[in-house]
Amino acid sequence: MEGKNNEIMIEVKDLSKAYDGVTVLNIPGLKIPKGESFGLVGNNGAGKTTFFRLMLDLIRANSGTVMTKGKNVSKDENWKFHTASYLDDGFLIDFLTPEEFFRFTANVRSLTEGDLSEFYILFKDFFNDEILEKGKLIRDLSRGNQKKVGIAATLMSDPEIIIMDEPFNSLDPTTQIRLKIILNDWRKDKNTTMLISSHDLNHVSEVCDRIVILDKGNIVKDIHSSNNTLKELEDYFYTQIYAQS
Amino acid sequence: MFKWFINHEWKRATRSNVWHKKVATNILMGFLIFMMMLYLLALGLFVDVIIRGLYPDQDPVGILNGFLVYYFLIDLIARFYLQQVSAFTIESYLHLPVKRSTITHYVVLRTITSIFNYLPLFVFIPFAVKVIAPDYSVADAWLWLLTLIFLVFTNNFIISYLKRQLGSNPKVVGLFAIFLAIFIFLDYFDVISLSSFSTFAFGLIFTHQITVIIPVVAIIGVYILNYNFLRNRLYSEEINIRKHKKIDSIGNIRYLRSIGLTGELIALEMKLMWRNKRPRTIIYMLPLFVLYGFFFYPQEIYQETFGFLIFVGVFMTGGMMLNYANYAFGWESSYFDTILTNNISIDRYLKVKFLNSIIISAICYILTIPYLFFGWEILLINTVTFLYNIGLLVFVLLYMATYNKKRMDLSKGSVFNYQGIGASNWLAMIPAFLLPVIVYLPFSFAGYKIAGLMAIGVLGLIGLIFYKSLLKIVKNQFLKRRYIMAEGFRER
Repeated sequence: MEGKNNEIMIEVKDLSKAYDGVTVLNIPGLKIPKGESFGLVGNNGAGKTTFFRLMLDLIRANSGTVMTKGKNVSKDENWKFHTASYLDDGFLIDFLTPEEFFRFTANVRSLTEGDLSEFYILFKDFFNDEILEKGKLIRDLSRGNQKKVGIAATLMSDPEIIIMDEPFNSLDPTTQIRLKIILNDWRKDKNTTMLISSHDLNHVSEVCDRIVILDKGNIVKDIHSSNNTLKELEDYFYTQIYAQS
Repeated sequence: MFKWFINHEWKRATRSNVWHKKVATNILMGFLIFMMMLYLLALGLFVDVIIRGLYPDQDPVGILNGFLVYYFLIDLIARFYLQQVSAFTIESYLHLPVKRSTITHYVVLRTITSIFNYLPLFVFIPFAVKVIAPDYSVADAWLWLLTLIFLVFTNNFIISYLKRQLGSNPKVVGLFAIFLAIFIFLDYFDVISLSSFSTFAFGLIFTHQITVIIPVVAIIGVYILNYNFLRNRLYSEEINIRKHKKIDSIGNIRYLRSIGLTGELIALEMKLMWRNKRPRTIIYMLPLFVLYGFFFYPQEIYQETFGFLIFVGVFMTGGMMLNYANYAFGWESSYFDTILTNNISIDRYLKVKFLNSIIISAICYILTIPYLFFGWEILLINTVTFLYNIGLLVFVLLYMATYNKKRMDLSKGSVFNYQGIGASNWLAMIPAFLLPVIVYLPFSFAGYKIAGLMAIGVLGLIGLIFYKSLLKIVKNQFLKRRYIMAEGFRER
């Protein structure tokens, strides 16, 4: 799907974030075109979540800007209207039932009752009869099921940009495969810009057109997907281990 | 085994993330408790002098015995609000070779460390030594003291039982409260006399020593009640998850649905308040706020000086709102990121906070209308303080709430839970209570009391007229503080 159009969706310029004088993220420049599915890979502490939080204006950058659709996210609230995200369980309202949470999300994103019922039909298999009509609050669900709720709510409104941190983590195998199918369908049909981080090299290479490796806050590799992507990723991390020893 | 439990609990407390933050509050609390002990000790030493002064011809022991039943009633009510039945994490021990009965006994017994069990001794012991021992006999003094100590601990176990029931079966607590209320009402209208019953019952200790058995039976009874209750609930899944419990339909109000996102956000906070332990404890405090006036209105001296009644009015119509608005953002700390990243404009978000504060204050105001019984001035005072609360105070509180960046654990609730409370919250309370009185005083000195009250109301109305500009100030503050708040809320 690359090259369908070259409109830039997200542009990062001179972005840096430091805690107590230690730089945890430093990205001189990065452009993500519309419709790209962008994978972020890196070890713990590489700055993946920090990067996503900066994109969502949840933390203040020490320098630089994140622009989505040409607008600075920290100055203008408009990005909220076309971005949906799920980073961690802080994005769930745990004293609601899943139905109440979906209704809340639908209302916040100005969806109609019809859109909501369509969503339930679309995600019926994904929920696998474990989420809806259980009479449980989200906080009483298992971790995996909580995650399903968060991911489904993110995908609910057909957003232009999706940002998800470790979406495959703690999902059961069936749901992991279902999520991959959904994401790949969207890549083909909807031209959605997707930003996904993962520790699982298999998963990212299956759903992403482009994969960036972060190490200690710096971009060390920027790979455009090919048949060799997985090999290339694995090689990078193998060399890391040998380089240390 | 108990040794290990105590050791682990101590470590859990001192190694908790908030321990060092709590040190200051703990020192303050320790100081307050120490002062309280001194006062009580003084009371215990001189209570006989006071009684002899008031009732010169009667036996001070009989008089004090007459008060005891009221003491134990007040003790029950105070404990219900103040005594914590904090959770002991039994999950880490259930799978180990430790008898379930040992764990249960420990969980029941750990409540006896509450300070509420020891404060009354500062009154009882001096009285027993100074009055009963010489007037009656040393043996009588011992019996009297033991009876009271047993009853104090009976109260302790009653309250820990009720507070545990509150989670699983609140009806029991309701029935118990109604039962107590009936006695108090009958006593108030002189149908029965609790005080003469009390004098009689505690007098039996001296005439029929065997009656000391009654409190012993009582304490064993409530202990067994607690033990059985907990013993049957030791499965961690039953503790943590209330399965098959019907989800309440709170917030599913058609009107709220019909006004779109604003209604959705109001409904969300209604659910927040009702489904989490900590905000729920504040709802339980509502009667305390509303009944506050009863302490003052019946007394003539307050009727003449409005200054103090203004304070009472602000407190009654605004106390609940203060509790809410002080943490306006802290309540939502566990999902603050959702609020920031979702399609909710800050203007609307703050307006919802403003509306909710008004709703809460309005409920309190409506509940205080019956005080009209004590004179129309009371209603006027409460009306103008209500206007002040929703027209001015609310903006101060919301502004100050942005300084509160501590994550709040909604599942841990109690009145003396200072988690998530910063100095900013205390600061907010000073102008809250003082300003209306300051506005009123000059008018009062000039002899225009009613005009002074009106001035407070007008102040509130002006605030309401310009609410958009005032919310704008709050918004700018919120935008400035949002990263700091979000970061603080994420810190567990």
